[in-house]
Amino acid sequence: MKVGILSFQGSFLDHSKSIHELGYESLLIKQSKDLTSVDALILPGGESTAMKKINQFSNLLTDIDQFIKDGIPTLTTCAGTILLAKEVIGGEVTIPNIDIEVTRNAYGRQTESFEGSVKFFENEDIYCFIRAPKISKILSDTVNVIAQHDDEIVGVAQKNVVSLTFHPELNNDEYYLNWLNDFIKEGKNVRSF
Amino acid sequence: MKIESTKKVKKGLAEMLKGGVIMDVVNAEQAKIAEKAGAVAVMALERIPADIRADGGVARMSSVGVIQEVMDSVSIPVMAKARIGHFVEAQILDSLGIDFIDESEVLTPADEVNHINKQSFKAPFVCGATGLGEATRRIAEGASMIRTKGEAGTGNVVEAVRHMRTITNELNEVIACDENEIVALSKKFRAPLNVLEEIKEQNKLPVVNFAAGGIATPADAALMMQLGCDGVFVGSGIFKSGDPAERAEAIVIATTNYNDPKVLSEVSKDLGEPMVGINIDTLSEEEKLAKRGW
Repeated sequence: MKVGILSFQGSFLDHSKSIHELGYESLLIKQSKDLTSVDALILPGGESTAMKKINQFSNLLTDIDQFIKDGIPTLTTCAGTILLAKEVIGGEVTIPNIDIEVTRNAYGRQTESFEGSVKFFENEDIYCFIRAPKISKILSDTVNVIAQHDDEIVGVAQKNVVSLTFHPELNNDEYYLNWLNDFIKEGKNVRSF
Repeated sequence: MKIESTKKVKKGLAEMLKGGVIMDVVNAEQAKIAEKAGAVAVMALERIPADIRADGGVARMSSVGVIQEVMDSVSIPVMAKARIGHFVEAQILDSLGIDFIDESEVLTPADEVNHINKQSFKAPFVCGATGLGEATRRIAEGASMIRTKGEAGTGNVVEAVRHMRTITNELNEVIACDENEIVALSKKFRAPLNVLEEIKEQNKLPVVNFAAGGIATPADAALMMQLGCDGVFVGSGIFKSGDPAERAEAIVIATTNYNDPKVLSEVSKDLGEPMVGINIDTLSEEEKLAKRGW
């Protein structure tokens, strides 16, 4: 199994570590020519404005967009979620692939960043939210809520895409890694609808 | 449940900046140019290091007005500098809601013995280091990110290279050491034992390490990345050059694609004049900013 990780900047090496813990190969993708056959994709956290700028060099995101539309299991966290959102408040739409509206820096500045309890599918654990966006609207009935912090929606799934606003890659807890393994291997929780 | 400003949250922001370029700016206009060029964060300053060096005198925390102007103008994180040991400047920056505080040797030190105890602040801290001892002492004081000191405001990368190589060599010595040697190494590097133990456990520095001080070209940025840095600070190199927007963008692309000489040659084309550099040999010992900090 080979997982491609968008590696313009941000926490791509943390995601790569998660992939290695599962015993899979990770491919750090920086330009279109790096994007070969992969079994899954991860778009990490970082700064979405910087990622958009770096993308202008080779337009890698246009190719990634096609891979996602072809149905490859795709996980996004934080800035990666902003790149895939259909609508963005306080930022620009990039490659819309998930029917949500996100609000950038919705909690405020770094001093408002926090560790908070998240119900991720059936499991509850503490995860980091770092200058995180909020999923402010769900724009389609086919979007399923898969993670919540208090009453806030912090994770959704639609077709082959799972988008989170928190950082499970900074925890690499057993529940997350097991879920990730299933997600990569079988496209579980995504290909079922 | 929700807890703010934990160690993990502070280190987490540094993780998100990895592979990116942090740029010095002195006003909202420059901050916007930096954001548009793909900076992952900006450092709000009243004067860039090259001017601080030229002007002489005491260099202090920037005025609150300048910092707030920059904070209001961009959506990326904003950093600001406090003097070494000046915990009240740091308190002021923290109360402004700044995203990162740089306890910086570029400003005139306020305490010749102590650095700020960084644990109690809401904002994370970045600190300069010339070697592993300095880096680990800053980490023990609560720094969430380290950067090489380099020699700020010179446009000369030689000191940043020296500091990065020193940190890497000393780090490797700790990683390779036998458990019986670790106390002696702690003494040798004047490095807190608990941080060395953490290094040994993780086989790396426990926080992100960026390059800073003298980076002026895309090639300089790529050089520091190939030497193992996690990202790059560019101070005077951008806004002291002929075409700041072009150069800023080129350095951003070069930092991501640091291992691809083809991309590096492409972005280095037609960049206009780089900043005029200073040879380190011509600086007297008192003029070297990297000597500040203990």
